Amino acid sequence: MQENFIKATAFAALLSASAAVGLTGAAQADSIKIGINVPQTGFAAADGTSALIGAQLAAEQANANGGVNGKNVELVVYDDQASPKSAVPIATKLVEQDEVKIAISGSYSGATRAAAGVFQEAGVPYISAFAVHPEITRSGDYVFRTSFVGEVQGRAGAKLIGESLGKKKVTLITLKNDFGQSLANGFKEAAEQFGIEIISEYEYSIKDRQFGPIVAKVKSDAPDAIYASGYFFTAGPLVSQLRSGGIDVPVIGQEGYDSQKFIEIAGGASEGVIITTSLDRDSDSPEAKDFIAAFEEKAGYKADMVAASGHTAMKVAIAALREAGSEDPKAIRDAIAGLTLEASTGTISFNGLGEVRKDVQVQVVKDGNWHRHSIISDPDLLAPPEK
Amino acid sequence: MLAFELLLQGLVQGSIYALIAVGLTLVYGLLRILHVAHAGLFTLGGYIGVIVTNATGSLLLALLVAMPAMGLLGIGIYRTCYQPLLSRPPYVALIASIGLFIMMEELFRLIFGPYGLSFTAPPLQDTVAVFGVNLKEAELATMIGAVVLIGGLALLTLRTRIGTASRATVTDPKMAEAFGVNIGRIRDINFFVGSALAAAAGVMVALLNNLVEPTMGSVPSYKALAIIVLGGLGDLRGTLIAALALGVIEAYGTIYLGNLLDRDAIAFAFLIAVLMLRPQGLFGRA
Repeated sequence: MQENFIKATAFAALLSASAAVGLTGAAQADSIKIGINVPQTGFAAADGTSALIGAQLAAEQANANGGVNGKNVELVVYDDQASPKSAVPIATKLVEQDEVKIAISGSYSGATRAAAGVFQEAGVPYISAFAVHPEITRSGDYVFRTSFVGEVQGRAGAKLIGESLGKKKVTLITLKNDFGQSLANGFKEAAEQFGIEIISEYEYSIKDRQFGPIVAKVKSDAPDAIYASGYFFTAGPLVSQLRSGGIDVPVIGQEGYDSQKFIEIAGGASEGVIITTSLDRDSDSPEAKDFIAAFEEKAGYKADMVAASGHTAMKVAIAALREAGSEDPKAIRDAIAGLTLEASTGTISFNGLGEVRKDVQVQVVKDGNWHRHSIISDPDLLAPPEK
Repeated sequence: MLAFELLLQGLVQGSIYALIAVGLTLVYGLLRILHVAHAGLFTLGGYIGVIVTNATGSLLLALLVAMPAMGLLGIGIYRTCYQPLLSRPPYVALIASIGLFIMMEELFRLIFGPYGLSFTAPPLQDTVAVFGVNLKEAELATMIGAVVLIGGLALLTLRTRIGTASRATVTDPKMAEAFGVNIGRIRDINFFVGSALAAAAGVMVALLNNLVEPTMGSVPSYKALAIIVLGGLGDLRGTLIAALALGVIEAYGTIYLGNLLDRDAIAFAFLIAVLMLRPQGLFGRA
C-alpha cells in the first residue's frame, strides 16, 4: 500500500528532474547567461510558453548573428507557476547559483513583483515582459518593463471608446486581479475626459468561465459599449456568452485577449471585438513582420502579445549587453536606460522609472484573425508613471 | 424578468454542480473518502467530449464514449489508489487523492497542451426562448441532461436490487455482506456511476464555455466538497438540493454581492452559515 505512494513520488521526482535537466542542460563554457522566470505549469502555462518561445527566438536570432560580445547567449529557464512563492527562490537561484548577468520575467504580476525585489537587491538588471502591476518598476533602478502598466492601457481604452467609437454609456466587466483592477482604474481616470458615463461595473474572478448572471444583468443595463478586462481564457467564454445572450453592442478588451485562442474559443462571436495591445498584425515594420513569421514557424501557432513581449524583453537585454560591451551590471543597467530600440512591439524607450514609452496598437477581429483597427499615439495620455 | 433569468442561470450552474457532487457523495457515503481526484475525471471527460466531437461530429457519440470511459477509470482509481489504503485513517486516502488530482492536471497539460481545447464547430450554440428568456441550447441541454441522469440514478437506487444492496452497504457494510451483498462490486458500481456523471458534467461545461483547460477541475474539486458537506455527507437528496441552491445563490450573489464577495467565496460563506446553524448539514440527520 505504501508502495503505490512511493511509486507516485518517485514518478513525480523523475518528472521534475528530467524537466530541470532539459532546461539547464545545454550549458556552454563561453556564453553569457540570461535568466528567465516563466510559468510552464499551472494556470498561466499557456502565456508562459508563448513568452518563453518568444524569448528563445530572440536569443537564437542573436546567436545566429554572431552572439553578444563574441559569446553566445544562453537562456537559463525556471518555471515559476506564476506564483510569488516560487518566484523568490528562483530569483535567488538565478542570481547566486547561475550568476546570470541580466534576467527577464515572462510571468504575471504577482511573481514578477516578488522576484523584482531580489534582483534589485542583488544589482542584476531585470526586465518584465508583460506584467502590469505598477509596483514592479518601483522596486528600484535595476527593474524595467517593456509593456504598458494597466492604467496606461485603461486610459487608451477610454479614448478608443469615447472618442474613436463615440460610445458614451459604458458598462465595465472587470477581472478581479491586479491586471483587471489597474485597467479599470485607468479607464475610470480618463472616462470623464472623453465624455464617458460608467453606468455599471461587475467583477469576476479569474476562475470564472460562466457569466450567465452578469450577462443577464448587463442586458437590462443596456449600455452603448462594454469595456471588459480579462485573459483569452476568460474573455473567450465571456464574449461568446454576451453575444448568445442577445447583447450586440461593441465589446472592447485589452492585451489579455490577444491570442488566436481567443478567436477559437469565442468563434463567430469574436468578430468585431476590439482590443488595445502591443502587437500590430498588419504592421509595415520589418521587425514586426519578421517576428510574426519567425514565431509562427518556430511555435507552430500564431504569434500573440505575450510572445512579442517575451521577444521584445529579450531583445532589450541583448541590445543592452552589446551596448554595454561588458558584463558589468551597472553598465548593462545604464545601457537599458538609454536604449531606443525597434522591436516587434514598436519603437521603445524607457522613462526614468524604467517604464516603456510606445504607441498603443488597436486590433480588431475580422474574418477570424486579428487585424489593425487603429494606433493610439498620444504621449500625454499614454505617459507611464514617473515615480 | 431579470430575477427569473438569474434563477435559470443559477439552475444551469447548479445542474453542473449536482452532476459532479453526486459522484463524490456516493463515494463518501460508501467509503468515507473525500475523493478530490473526482474533479480530474470531470476534466478528462470534457477533453474526451471535445476530441471525440471534433473527430466524428457527433456530440452524442462523445458522451457515449466519455461516460463509460471515465466510469471505468473511476473503478481503476478505486482499485489502485483507494482500496490499498482502506485500512488506513481517511486522511491518508485524502492525501493520495489530492496528489493524484495534481498529477492528473499536469498530465492533461503535458498531453493536451497548456492552451486548452475548443470545439471546431461547437454544437448546441443557438438560442431558444424559454418563457420569454433567451437560453443557449447547451444551457437547456445541461439542465435536461442533469434531470435525466440524476433521475435515472434515483430510480436505480430506489427500484432495483443493486440499488437496495447499495443502500444497505452504506447503512451497514458488515450486515450487508452477511446477507450476501458483494461489497466490492457495489463499490465498483458506485465509482462507475459517479465518475460517468462527472464525465457528463465535463462535456456539458466544455459545451457551455467552448473551452476545456487542464485546470478546469480546480474550482469544482473544492466546491463540490462544500456541497456534499452542505447536503449532509453521503445524502444524495441533500446533495442535489445543496447543489441547485448554491448555483442559484451564486447567480444572485454575483450580481448583488459581487463587489463584496468573490463568487467562489459565496459557497464557503453559505457553508459556514449553515454549519453554524445546522452542523449536520442542511439535510443530514443529527
